[in-house]
Amino acid sequence: MDASARFIPMDAPATDDRAAARLAAHRRARRRATALVLLSQFALLAAFIAFWEYMTAFDRQAAFMFGSPSAIAGFLVTMASDGSLWRDTYVTGVETLLGFAVGNVIGTLIGLSLWYSRFVSRVIEPFVIALGSIPIIALAPIIIIWFGTGLMSKIAMSTLSVVIVALVTSYKGAIGVDEDQINLMRTLGASKFQIFRKLVVPASLTDIFAGLKLTVGFALIGAIVGEFMSSSEGLGHAIFKAGSLYIIPKVFAALVATIALALLLTFLVGKVEKRLMPWRRLG
Amino acid sequence: MSAVVPPTVAGGAAAPAGAPPLIVEHVAKSYDADGRIVPVIGDLSLNLNEGEIVAIVGPSGCGKTTLLNTLCGLISADAGRICWHGREISGQPAGVGYMLQKDLLLPWRTALGNVMLGLEIRGVPLSDAEERSHVVLDKLGLHGFAEHYPTTLSGGMRQRVALARTLVNEPDVLLLDEPFAALDFQTKLLIESDTARLVRESRRSVLLITHDIEEAVSIADRVIVLSKRPTRVKAVYDIALASDRTDMIAARESPGFVDYVRRIWADLDVARN
Repeated sequence: MDASARFIPMDAPATDDRAAARLAAHRRARRRATALVLLSQFALLAAFIAFWEYMTAFDRQAAFMFGSPSAIAGFLVTMASDGSLWRDTYVTGVETLLGFAVGNVIGTLIGLSLWYSRFVSRVIEPFVIALGSIPIIALAPIIIIWFGTGLMSKIAMSTLSVVIVALVTSYKGAIGVDEDQINLMRTLGASKFQIFRKLVVPASLTDIFAGLKLTVGFALIGAIVGEFMSSSEGLGHAIFKAGSLYIIPKVFAALVATIALALLLTFLVGKVEKRLMPWRRLG
Repeated sequence: MSAVVPPTVAGGAAAPAGAPPLIVEHVAKSYDADGRIVPVIGDLSLNLNEGEIVAIVGPSGCGKTTLLNTLCGLISADAGRICWHGREISGQPAGVGYMLQKDLLLPWRTALGNVMLGLEIRGVPLSDAEERSHVVLDKLGLHGFAEHYPTTLSGGMRQRVALARTLVNEPDVLLLDEPFAALDFQTKLLIESDTARLVRESRRSVLLITHDIEEAVSIADRVIVLSKRPTRVKAVYDIALASDRTDMIAARESPGFVDYVRRIWADLDVARN
Protein backbone atom coordinates (compact mmCIF):
# COMPACT_ATOMS: atom_id res chain seq x y z
CA MET A 1 0.00 0.00 0.00
CA ASP A 2 1.48 3.31 -0.99
CA ALA A 3 0.15 5.25 1.94
CA SER A 4 0.95 2.74 4.64
CA ALA A 5 4.57 2.59 3.51
CA ARG A 6 5.07 6.25 4.29
CA PHE A 7 2.98 6.10 7.42
CA ILE A 8 4.66 5.52 10.75
CA PRO A 9 2.20 4.63 13.52
CA MET A 10 2.91 6.36 16.82
CA ASP A 11 3.43 3.11 18.68
CA ALA A 12 5.30 1.27 15.96
CA PRO A 13 8.08 -0.88 17.29
CA ALA A 14 11.38 0.39 15.93
CA THR A 15 12.40 -2.02 13.27
CA ASP A 16 16.11 -1.52 13.30
CA ASP A 17 18.55 -0.77 16.09
CA ARG A 18 19.79 2.47 14.62
CA ALA A 19 16.29 3.85 14.42
CA ALA A 20 15.68 2.76 18.01
CA ALA A 21 18.89 4.45 19.12
CA ARG A 22 17.95 7.65 17.28
CA LEU A 23 14.54 7.62 18.89
CA ALA A 24 16.04 7.09 22.35
CA ALA A 25 18.53 9.90 21.81
CA HIS A 26 15.70 12.17 20.70
CA ARG A 27 13.69 11.33 23.81
CA ARG A 28 16.73 11.93 26.06
CA ALA A 29 17.30 15.33 24.45
CA ARG A 30 13.67 16.27 25.00
CA ARG A 31 13.79 15.17 28.64
CA ARG A 32 16.98 17.19 29.15
CA ALA A 33 15.30 20.28 27.71
CA THR A 34 12.33 19.85 30.07
CA ALA A 35 14.67 19.35 33.04
CA LEU A 36 16.50 22.55 32.12
CA VAL A 37 13.23 24.52 32.03
CA LEU A 38 12.20 23.16 35.44
CA LEU A 39 15.64 23.91 36.88
CA SER A 40 15.54 27.48 35.56
CA GLN A 41 12.08 28.01 37.03
CA PHE A 42 13.24 26.71 40.41
CA ALA A 43 16.37 28.89 40.29
CA LEU A 44 14.32 31.99 39.44
CA LEU A 45 11.96 31.36 42.35
CA ALA A 46 14.84 30.63 44.75
CA ALA A 47 16.66 33.80 43.70
CA PHE A 48 13.51 35.88 44.22
CA ILE A 49 12.92 34.41 47.69
CA ALA A 50 16.58 34.88 48.66
CA PHE A 51 16.50 38.51 47.50
CA TRP A 52 13.27 39.12 49.44
CA GLU A 53 14.69 37.49 52.58
CA TYR A 54 17.93 39.46 52.30
CA MET A 55 16.19 42.82 51.77
CA THR A 56 13.96 42.32 54.81
CA ALA A 57 16.47 40.63 57.14
CA PHE A 58 18.21 43.79 58.36
CA ASP A 59 15.42 46.34 57.92
CA ARG A 60 12.59 46.14 60.41
CA GLN A 61 10.44 48.59 58.50
CA ALA A 62 10.81 46.65 55.27
CA ALA A 63 10.09 43.43 57.15
CA PHE A 64 6.89 45.00 58.49
CA MET A 65 5.81 46.35 55.11
CA PHE A 66 6.68 43.37 52.94
CA GLY A 67 6.91 40.43 55.33
CA SER A 68 9.73 38.01 54.82
CA PRO A 69 9.77 34.53 53.34
CA SER A 70 10.85 33.06 56.67
CA ALA A 71 8.03 34.81 58.53
CA ILE A 72 5.55 33.66 55.87
CA ALA A 73 6.81 30.10 56.23
CA GLY A 74 6.45 30.45 60.01
CA PHE A 75 2.82 31.53 59.64
CA LEU A 76 2.14 28.68 57.24
CA VAL A 77 3.46 26.21 59.83
CA THR A 78 1.38 27.76 62.66
CA MET A 79 -1.75 27.92 60.51
CA ALA A 80 -1.23 24.36 59.41
CA SER A 81 -0.76 23.07 62.94
CA ASP A 82 -3.77 24.92 64.41
CA GLY A 83 -5.84 23.61 61.48
CA SER A 84 -6.99 27.04 60.21
CA LEU A 85 -4.98 26.71 57.00
CA TRP A 86 -6.77 23.49 56.04
CA ARG A 87 -10.14 24.74 57.19
CA ASP A 88 -9.88 28.03 55.24
CA THR A 89 -8.50 26.35 52.13
CA TYR A 90 -11.25 23.74 52.29
CA VAL A 91 -14.00 26.34 52.65
CA THR A 92 -12.72 28.51 49.80
CA GLY A 93 -12.09 25.38 47.72
CA VAL A 94 -15.68 24.22 48.12
CA GLU A 95 -17.08 27.68 47.29
CA THR A 96 -14.85 27.94 44.25
CA LEU A 97 -15.61 24.44 42.98
CA LEU A 98 -19.37 24.84 43.35
CA GLY A 99 -19.38 28.28 41.73
CA PHE A 100 -17.10 26.98 38.97
CA ALA A 101 -19.36 23.99 38.35
CA VAL A 102 -22.69 25.84 38.45
CA GLY A 103 -21.40 28.77 36.38
CA ASN A 104 -19.83 26.58 33.73
CA VAL A 105 -22.77 24.21 33.44
CA ILE A 106 -25.27 27.06 33.05
CA GLY A 107 -22.99 29.13 30.80
CA THR A 108 -22.02 26.23 28.56
CA LEU A 109 -25.59 24.96 28.21
CA ILE A 110 -26.81 28.40 27.17
CA GLY A 111 -23.80 29.06 24.95
CA LEU A 112 -24.13 25.77 23.08
CA SER A 113 -27.89 25.94 22.73
CA LEU A 114 -27.62 29.42 21.22
CA TRP A 115 -26.16 27.61 18.20
CA TYR A 116 -29.68 26.40 17.52
CA SER A 117 -31.09 29.81 16.77
CA ARG A 118 -29.24 32.60 15.06
CA PHE A 119 -32.28 34.77 15.78
CA VAL A 120 -32.24 34.24 19.55
CA SER A 121 -28.49 34.68 19.77
CA ARG A 122 -28.69 37.96 17.87
CA VAL A 123 -31.49 39.17 20.13
CA ILE A 124 -29.63 38.46 23.36
CA GLU A 125 -26.13 39.42 22.21
CA PRO A 126 -26.15 43.04 23.51
CA PHE A 127 -27.56 41.88 26.84
CA VAL A 128 -24.80 39.31 27.22
CA ILE A 129 -22.19 41.95 26.45
CA ALA A 130 -23.80 44.33 28.95
CA LEU A 131 -23.91 41.69 31.68
CA GLY A 132 -20.36 40.63 30.90
CA SER A 133 -19.07 44.16 31.38
CA ILE A 134 -20.43 44.50 34.94
CA PRO A 135 -17.59 44.25 37.46
CA ILE A 136 -18.70 41.43 39.71
CA ILE A 137 -17.41 43.24 42.80
CA ALA A 138 -20.08 45.87 42.21
CA LEU A 139 -22.72 43.19 42.70
CA ALA A 140 -21.30 41.91 45.99
CA PRO A 141 -23.42 44.07 48.33
CA ILE A 142 -26.64 43.01 46.58
CA ILE A 143 -25.58 39.38 46.55
CA ILE A 144 -25.05 39.48 50.33
CA ILE A 145 -28.54 40.94 50.75
CA TRP A 146 -30.08 38.31 48.49
CA PHE A 147 -28.17 35.24 49.58
CA GLY A 148 -27.05 36.05 53.13
CA THR A 149 -23.57 35.93 54.57
CA GLY A 150 -23.07 32.17 54.36
CA LEU A 151 -21.91 29.71 51.72
CA MET A 152 -24.66 30.60 49.22
CA SER A 153 -23.53 34.18 48.66
CA LYS A 154 -19.95 33.03 47.93
CA ILE A 155 -21.19 30.43 45.46
CA ALA A 156 -23.38 33.07 43.82
CA MET A 157 -20.41 35.45 43.49
CA SER A 158 -18.25 32.70 42.08
CA THR A 159 -20.97 31.56 39.66
CA LEU A 160 -21.52 35.09 38.39
CA SER A 161 -17.79 35.52 37.77
CA VAL A 162 -17.79 32.40 35.61
CA VAL A 163 -21.07 32.20 33.77
CA ILE A 164 -20.65 34.87 31.08
CA VAL A 165 -17.15 33.72 30.14
CA ALA A 166 -18.37 30.12 29.90
CA LEU A 167 -21.31 31.24 27.76
CA VAL A 168 -19.18 33.27 25.37
CA THR A 169 -16.42 30.67 24.93
CA SER A 170 -18.82 27.79 24.34
CA TYR A 171 -20.94 29.84 21.93
CA LYS A 172 -17.81 30.83 20.04
CA GLY A 173 -16.87 27.16 19.81
CA ALA A 174 -20.32 26.18 18.59
CA ILE A 175 -20.64 28.77 15.84
CA GLY A 176 -17.01 28.20 14.79
CA VAL A 177 -17.81 24.72 13.46
CA ASP A 178 -16.74 24.31 9.82
CA GLU A 179 -19.65 25.01 7.45
CA ASP A 180 -18.50 22.19 5.13
CA GLN A 181 -18.61 19.78 8.04
CA ILE A 182 -22.22 20.79 8.74
CA ASN A 183 -23.07 20.36 5.04
CA LEU A 184 -21.51 16.91 5.10
CA MET A 185 -23.66 15.95 8.09
CA ARG A 186 -26.71 17.27 6.20
CA THR A 187 -25.91 15.23 3.11
CA LEU A 188 -25.57 12.17 5.37
CA GLY A 189 -29.16 12.91 6.38
CA ALA A 190 -28.51 14.25 9.87
CA SER A 191 -31.27 16.12 11.69
CA LYS A 192 -30.45 19.41 13.40
CA PHE A 193 -30.26 17.64 16.76
CA GLN A 194 -27.92 14.98 15.34
CA ILE A 195 -25.68 17.70 13.92
CA PHE A 196 -25.70 19.34 17.35
CA ARG A 197 -24.94 16.18 19.30
CA LYS A 198 -22.51 14.44 16.96
CA LEU A 199 -20.69 17.48 15.57
CA VAL A 200 -21.25 20.79 17.35
CA VAL A 201 -20.86 19.60 20.94
CA PRO A 202 -17.67 17.56 20.47
CA ALA A 203 -16.21 20.20 18.15
CA SER A 204 -16.78 22.85 20.83
CA LEU A 205 -14.93 20.89 23.51
CA THR A 206 -11.62 22.59 22.73
CA ASP A 207 -13.12 26.03 23.32
CA ILE A 208 -15.12 24.82 26.31
CA PHE A 209 -11.96 23.57 27.99
CA ALA A 210 -10.13 26.79 27.18
CA GLY A 211 -13.02 28.48 29.01
CA LEU A 212 -12.78 26.07 31.93
CA LYS A 213 -9.09 26.83 32.42
CA LEU A 214 -9.78 30.54 32.27
CA THR A 215 -12.69 30.41 34.70
CA VAL A 216 -10.84 28.51 37.44
CA GLY A 217 -9.21 31.82 38.33
CA PHE A 218 -12.46 33.78 37.97
CA ALA A 219 -14.31 31.36 40.24
CA LEU A 220 -11.62 31.77 42.89
CA ILE A 221 -11.73 35.56 42.60
CA GLY A 222 -15.52 35.47 43.00
CA ALA A 223 -15.30 33.31 46.12
CA ILE A 224 -12.61 35.47 47.70
CA VAL A 225 -14.38 38.74 46.93
CA GLY A 226 -17.49 37.22 48.51
CA GLU A 227 -15.48 36.39 51.61
CA PHE A 228 -14.04 39.92 51.72
CA MET A 229 -17.53 41.35 51.96
CA SER A 230 -18.72 39.25 54.81
CA SER A 231 -17.56 35.92 56.16
CA SER A 232 -16.31 34.03 59.17
CA GLU A 233 -13.98 31.60 57.42
CA GLY A 234 -12.13 30.95 54.16
CA LEU A 235 -8.87 32.20 52.66
CA GLY A 236 -10.43 35.54 51.70
CA HIS A 237 -11.53 35.95 55.28
CA ALA A 238 -8.00 35.13 56.51
CA ILE A 239 -6.42 37.60 54.07
CA PHE A 240 -8.89 40.34 54.95
CA LYS A 241 -8.50 39.84 58.72
CA ALA A 242 -4.68 39.65 58.66
CA GLY A 243 -4.59 42.71 56.39
CA SER A 244 -6.79 44.75 58.72
CA LEU A 245 -4.46 43.85 61.60
CA TYR A 246 -1.34 44.73 59.57
CA ILE A 247 0.02 41.16 59.88
CA ILE A 248 1.47 41.21 56.37
CA PRO A 249 3.33 37.87 56.42
CA LYS A 250 0.06 36.20 57.33
CA VAL A 251 -1.62 37.83 54.30
CA PHE A 252 1.10 36.35 52.14
CA ALA A 253 0.78 32.96 53.84
CA ALA A 254 -2.94 32.86 52.97
CA LEU A 255 -2.06 34.02 49.46
CA VAL A 256 0.35 31.11 49.06
CA ALA A 257 -2.50 28.77 49.97
CA THR A 258 -4.74 30.55 47.43
CA ILE A 259 -2.16 30.11 44.68
CA ALA A 260 -1.75 26.44 45.59
CA LEU A 261 -5.53 26.00 45.38
CA ALA A 262 -5.67 27.67 41.95
CA LEU A 263 -2.83 25.48 40.67
CA LEU A 264 -4.50 22.34 41.99
CA LEU A 265 -7.82 23.18 40.32
CA THR A 266 -6.14 24.06 37.01
CA PHE A 267 -4.24 20.79 37.16
CA LEU A 268 -7.48 18.86 37.72
CA VAL A 269 -9.17 20.58 34.74
CA GLY A 270 -6.18 19.59 32.60
CA LYS A 271 -6.53 15.97 33.75
CA VAL A 272 -10.23 15.89 32.87
CA GLU A 273 -9.46 17.46 29.48
CA LYS A 274 -6.94 14.75 28.62
CA ARG A 275 -9.42 12.14 29.73
CA LEU A 276 -12.30 13.54 27.67
CA MET A 277 -10.33 14.36 24.52
CA PRO A 278 -7.91 11.46 24.02
CA TRP A 279 -7.48 12.29 20.32
CA ARG A 280 -5.76 15.57 21.14
CA ARG A 281 -2.76 13.84 22.64
CA LEU A 282 -1.98 12.32 19.26
CA GLY A 283 -1.94 15.46 17.15
CA MET B 1 -30.34 -3.02 -14.63
CA SER B 2 -27.76 -5.31 -13.12
CA ALA B 3 -27.51 -6.53 -9.55
CA VAL B 4 -27.13 -3.11 -8.05
CA VAL B 5 -28.24 -2.36 -4.52
CA PRO B 6 -31.58 -0.70 -5.15
CA PRO B 7 -31.27 3.05 -4.95
CA THR B 8 -32.74 4.45 -1.77
CA VAL B 9 -35.06 6.91 -3.44
CA ALA B 10 -37.48 8.21 -0.85
CA GLY B 11 -40.85 6.59 -1.50
CA GLY B 12 -39.60 5.76 -4.95
CA ALA B 13 -42.70 3.85 -6.03
CA ALA B 14 -43.63 6.17 -8.85
CA ALA B 15 -40.11 6.80 -10.11
CA PRO B 16 -40.16 6.31 -13.87
CA ALA B 17 -38.33 3.12 -14.73
CA GLY B 18 -35.07 3.65 -16.50
CA ALA B 19 -34.85 7.35 -15.76
CA PRO B 20 -31.22 8.47 -15.45
CA PRO B 21 -30.10 9.04 -11.84
CA LEU B 22 -29.64 12.75 -12.47
CA ILE B 23 -31.01 15.21 -14.99
CA VAL B 24 -30.21 18.91 -14.80
CA GLU B 25 -32.30 21.18 -17.04
CA HIS B 26 -31.65 24.86 -17.58
CA VAL B 27 -30.45 25.51 -14.04
CA ALA B 28 -29.46 29.09 -13.18
CA LYS B 29 -28.14 30.57 -9.98
CA SER B 30 -27.10 34.10 -9.03
CA TYR B 31 -25.61 35.59 -5.93
CA ASP B 32 -26.35 38.89 -4.34
CA ALA B 33 -23.07 40.72 -3.70
CA ASP B 34 -23.72 44.05 -1.97
CA GLY B 35 -26.91 44.65 -3.89
CA ARG B 36 -25.44 43.69 -7.25
CA ILE B 37 -26.70 40.48 -8.75
CA VAL B 38 -23.82 38.29 -9.85
CA PRO B 39 -24.89 35.41 -12.10
CA VAL B 40 -22.81 32.33 -11.31
CA ILE B 41 -24.56 29.61 -13.27
CA GLY B 42 -26.01 30.92 -16.53
CA ASP B 43 -28.01 28.11 -18.07
CA LEU B 44 -26.79 24.65 -17.39
CA SER B 45 -28.14 21.31 -18.57
CA LEU B 46 -26.53 17.93 -18.20
CA ASN B 47 -27.41 14.38 -17.30
CA LEU B 48 -25.77 11.49 -15.58
CA ASN B 49 -26.64 7.96 -16.65
CA GLU B 50 -26.54 4.88 -14.52
CA GLY B 51 -23.07 3.42 -13.99
CA GLU B 52 -21.48 6.38 -15.72
CA ILE B 53 -18.58 8.52 -14.52
CA VAL B 54 -18.89 12.10 -15.70
CA ALA B 55 -16.20 14.67 -15.04
CA ILE B 56 -16.86 18.39 -15.06
CA VAL B 57 -13.94 20.69 -15.77
CA GLY B 58 -13.99 24.43 -16.01
CA PRO B 59 -11.89 27.51 -15.46
CA SER B 60 -11.33 28.35 -11.84
CA GLY B 61 -14.13 30.31 -10.23
CA CYS B 62 -16.68 29.10 -12.75
CA GLY B 63 -19.16 28.06 -10.11
CA LYS B 64 -18.42 24.34 -9.94
CA THR B 65 -18.89 24.23 -6.20
CA THR B 66 -22.09 26.26 -6.45
CA LEU B 67 -23.35 23.69 -8.93
CA LEU B 68 -22.50 20.83 -6.59
CA ASN B 69 -24.15 22.49 -3.60
CA THR B 70 -27.23 23.12 -5.72
CA LEU B 71 -27.35 19.47 -6.77
CA CYS B 72 -27.03 18.38 -3.13
CA GLY B 73 -29.95 20.52 -2.15
CA LEU B 74 -27.79 22.64 0.14
CA ILE B 75 -28.74 25.74 -1.85
CA SER B 76 -31.68 26.11 -4.21
CA ALA B 77 -31.48 27.09 -7.85
CA ASP B 78 -33.12 30.27 -9.17
CA ALA B 79 -34.45 28.55 -12.25
CA GLY B 80 -34.50 25.20 -13.97
CA ARG B 81 -35.13 21.64 -12.85
CA ILE B 82 -33.03 19.05 -11.07
CA CYS B 83 -34.43 15.54 -11.25
CA TRP B 84 -33.05 12.63 -9.27
CA HIS B 85 -34.26 9.34 -10.75
CA GLY B 86 -36.85 11.21 -12.71
CA ARG B 87 -38.36 13.19 -9.84
CA GLU B 88 -37.87 16.68 -8.56
CA ILE B 89 -36.94 16.71 -4.90
CA SER B 90 -36.81 19.60 -2.51
CA GLY B 91 -33.97 19.43 0.04
CA GLN B 92 -31.39 16.67 0.20
CA PRO B 93 -31.73 13.88 -2.34
CA ALA B 94 -31.54 10.37 -0.89
CA GLY B 95 -28.86 7.93 -1.95
CA VAL B 96 -26.34 10.60 -2.88
CA GLY B 97 -22.83 10.57 -1.46
CA TYR B 98 -20.79 13.73 -1.24
CA MET B 99 -17.04 14.13 -0.94
CA LEU B 100 -14.82 17.19 -0.96
CA GLN B 101 -11.15 18.02 -1.21
CA LYS B 102 -11.12 18.48 2.56
CA ASP B 103 -11.55 15.06 4.15
CA LEU B 104 -13.75 16.56 6.91
CA LEU B 105 -13.00 13.65 9.22
CA LEU B 106 -14.09 14.21 12.80
CA PRO B 107 -10.88 14.27 14.86
CA TRP B 108 -12.54 12.76 17.93
CA ARG B 109 -13.65 9.68 16.04
CA THR B 110 -11.42 6.83 14.92
CA ALA B 111 -11.27 5.87 11.24
CA LEU B 112 -13.98 3.31 11.94
CA GLY B 113 -16.09 5.82 13.87
CA ASN B 114 -15.87 8.27 10.99
CA VAL B 115 -16.93 5.67 8.44
CA MET B 116 -19.87 4.66 10.66
CA LEU B 117 -21.18 8.25 10.88
CA GLY B 118 -23.75 8.03 8.08
CA LEU B 119 -25.05 4.63 9.18
CA GLU B 120 -25.33 5.86 12.75
CA ILE B 121 -27.30 8.89 11.61
CA ARG B 122 -29.70 6.65 9.72
CA GLY B 123 -30.16 4.48 12.81
CA VAL B 124 -28.51 1.30 11.52
CA PRO B 125 -27.82 -1.01 14.52
CA LEU B 126 -24.31 -0.46 15.85
CA SER B 127 -22.91 -3.96 15.32
CA ASP B 128 -24.25 -4.02 11.77
CA ALA B 129 -22.80 -0.55 11.08
CA GLU B 130 -19.45 -1.62 12.49
CA GLU B 131 -19.31 -4.74 10.34
CA ARG B 132 -20.22 -2.91 7.14
CA SER B 133 -17.68 -0.18 7.87
CA HIS B 134 -14.93 -2.72 8.45
CA VAL B 135 -15.70 -4.30 5.08
CA VAL B 136 -15.38 -0.98 3.23
CA LEU B 137 -12.20 -0.01 5.09
CA ASP B 138 -10.68 -3.36 4.16
CA LYS B 139 -11.63 -2.85 0.50
CA LEU B 140 -9.79 0.46 0.50
CA GLY B 141 -6.63 -1.06 1.94
CA LEU B 142 -7.12 0.33 5.44
CA HIS B 143 -7.20 -3.00 7.20
CA GLY B 144 -5.60 -2.57 10.62
CA PHE B 145 -6.15 1.18 10.75
CA ALA B 146 -9.77 1.13 11.92
CA GLU B 147 -8.90 2.20 15.46
CA HIS B 148 -6.54 5.01 14.41
CA TYR B 149 -7.50 8.61 14.97
CA PRO B 150 -7.30 10.81 11.83
CA THR B 151 -4.36 12.82 13.22
CA THR B 152 -2.21 9.70 13.04
CA LEU B 153 -3.05 8.98 9.38
CA SER B 154 -1.35 10.33 6.26
CA GLY B 155 -3.24 12.59 3.84
CA GLY B 156 -3.85 9.74 1.41
CA MET B 157 -5.18 7.46 4.12
CA ARG B 158 -7.43 10.17 5.47
CA GLN B 159 -8.93 10.67 2.02
CA ARG B 160 -9.44 6.90 1.76
CA VAL B 161 -11.32 7.01 5.07
CA ALA B 162 -13.44 9.84 3.66
CA LEU B 163 -14.13 7.73 0.56
CA ALA B 164 -15.07 4.78 2.79
CA ARG B 165 -17.42 7.07 4.74
CA THR B 166 -19.13 7.95 1.44
CA LEU B 167 -19.26 4.41 0.01
CA VAL B 168 -20.49 2.66 3.16
CA ASN B 169 -23.88 4.34 2.71
CA GLU B 170 -24.13 2.64 -0.68
CA PRO B 171 -25.09 5.79 -2.56
CA ASP B 172 -26.21 5.24 -6.14
CA VAL B 173 -24.70 8.59 -7.11
CA LEU B 174 -21.45 10.09 -5.87
CA LEU B 175 -20.82 13.82 -6.12
CA LEU B 176 -17.11 14.44 -5.81
CA ASP B 177 -15.68 17.94 -5.59
CA GLU B 178 -11.95 17.80 -6.33
CA PRO B 179 -11.53 14.98 -3.83
CA PHE B 180 -7.99 14.11 -4.91
CA ALA B 181 -6.64 17.60 -5.54
CA ALA B 182 -4.61 17.85 -2.34
CA LEU B 183 -2.85 14.50 -2.73
CA ASP B 184 0.58 13.82 -4.13
CA PHE B 185 0.75 12.34 -7.62
CA GLN B 186 1.30 8.65 -6.83
CA THR B 187 -1.28 8.59 -4.04
CA LYS B 188 -3.71 10.35 -6.34
CA LEU B 189 -3.35 7.77 -9.12
CA LEU B 190 -3.83 4.90 -6.70
CA ILE B 191 -6.90 6.37 -5.02
CA GLU B 192 -8.39 7.30 -8.41
CA SER B 193 -7.89 3.70 -9.56
CA ASP B 194 -9.47 2.33 -6.37
CA THR B 195 -12.40 4.71 -6.71
CA ALA B 196 -12.94 3.76 -10.36
CA ARG B 197 -12.74 0.04 -9.52
CA LEU B 198 -15.19 0.22 -6.59
CA VAL B 199 -17.61 2.47 -8.44
CA ARG B 200 -17.59 0.51 -11.68
CA GLU B 201 -17.93 -2.90 -10.08
CA SER B 202 -21.08 -1.81 -8.26
CA ARG B 203 -22.33 0.28 -11.21
CA ARG B 204 -22.67 3.46 -9.21
CA SER B 205 -22.75 6.80 -11.02
CA VAL B 206 -20.22 9.53 -10.35
CA LEU B 207 -20.21 13.25 -11.02
CA LEU B 208 -16.64 14.41 -10.51
CA ILE B 209 -15.78 18.07 -10.39
CA THR B 210 -12.13 18.71 -11.02
CA HIS B 211 -9.69 21.22 -12.44
CA ASP B 212 -7.29 18.45 -13.41
CA ILE B 213 -7.88 17.64 -17.10
CA GLU B 214 -5.75 14.50 -17.03
CA GLU B 215 -7.68 13.20 -14.07
CA ALA B 216 -10.95 13.91 -15.87
CA VAL B 217 -9.92 12.13 -19.08
CA SER B 218 -8.37 9.13 -17.35
CA ILE B 219 -11.27 8.36 -15.04
CA ALA B 220 -14.42 9.54 -16.82
CA ASP B 221 -16.67 8.20 -19.55
CA ARG B 222 -17.67 11.71 -20.42
CA VAL B 223 -16.04 15.07 -19.78
CA ILE B 224 -18.16 18.20 -19.67
CA VAL B 225 -16.29 21.46 -20.18
CA LEU B 226 -17.85 24.51 -18.59
CA SER B 227 -17.44 28.11 -19.66
CA LYS B 228 -16.47 31.05 -17.52
CA ARG B 229 -19.14 32.65 -15.34
CA PRO B 230 -22.04 32.78 -15.95
CA THR B 231 -21.47 29.10 -16.46
CA ARG B 232 -22.80 27.14 -19.44
CA VAL B 233 -21.79 23.86 -20.99
CA LYS B 234 -19.13 24.67 -23.54
CA ALA B 235 -18.28 21.24 -24.86
CA VAL B 236 -18.87 17.56 -24.13
CA TYR B 237 -16.38 14.78 -24.86
CA ASP B 238 -17.20 11.09 -24.85
CA ILE B 239 -13.98 9.47 -23.75
CA ALA B 240 -13.19 6.22 -25.53
CA LEU B 241 -9.95 4.71 -24.34
CA ALA B 242 -8.94 1.15 -25.14
CA SER B 243 -7.37 0.51 -21.75
CA ASP B 244 -8.79 -1.00 -18.55
CA ARG B 245 -10.83 1.93 -17.21
CA THR B 246 -10.02 1.15 -13.59
CA ASP B 247 -6.29 1.56 -14.10
CA MET B 248 -5.31 5.22 -14.20
CA ILE B 249 -1.75 4.58 -15.28
CA ALA B 250 -2.87 2.45 -18.23
CA ALA B 251 -5.45 5.10 -19.14
CA ARG B 252 -2.80 7.79 -19.24
CA GLU B 253 -0.61 5.67 -21.50
CA SER B 254 -3.31 4.65 -23.94
CA PRO B 255 -3.42 6.22 -27.41
CA GLY B 256 -5.89 9.05 -27.67
CA PHE B 257 -5.39 10.19 -24.08
CA VAL B 258 -3.07 13.05 -24.93
CA ASP B 259 -5.32 14.13 -27.77
CA TYR B 260 -8.34 14.47 -25.46
CA VAL B 261 -6.28 16.40 -22.93
CA ARG B 262 -5.08 18.80 -25.63
CA ARG B 263 -8.52 19.45 -27.03
CA ILE B 264 -10.04 20.06 -23.59
CA TRP B 265 -7.13 22.29 -22.66
CA ALA B 266 -7.80 24.34 -25.80
CA ASP B 267 -11.50 24.52 -24.90
CA LEU B 268 -10.75 25.83 -21.45
CA ASP B 269 -8.95 28.74 -23.02
CA VAL B 270 -6.89 29.16 -19.88
CA ALA B 271 -4.39 31.60 -21.38
CA ARG B 272 -7.05 34.17 -22.12
CA ASN B 273 -8.80 33.98 -18.76
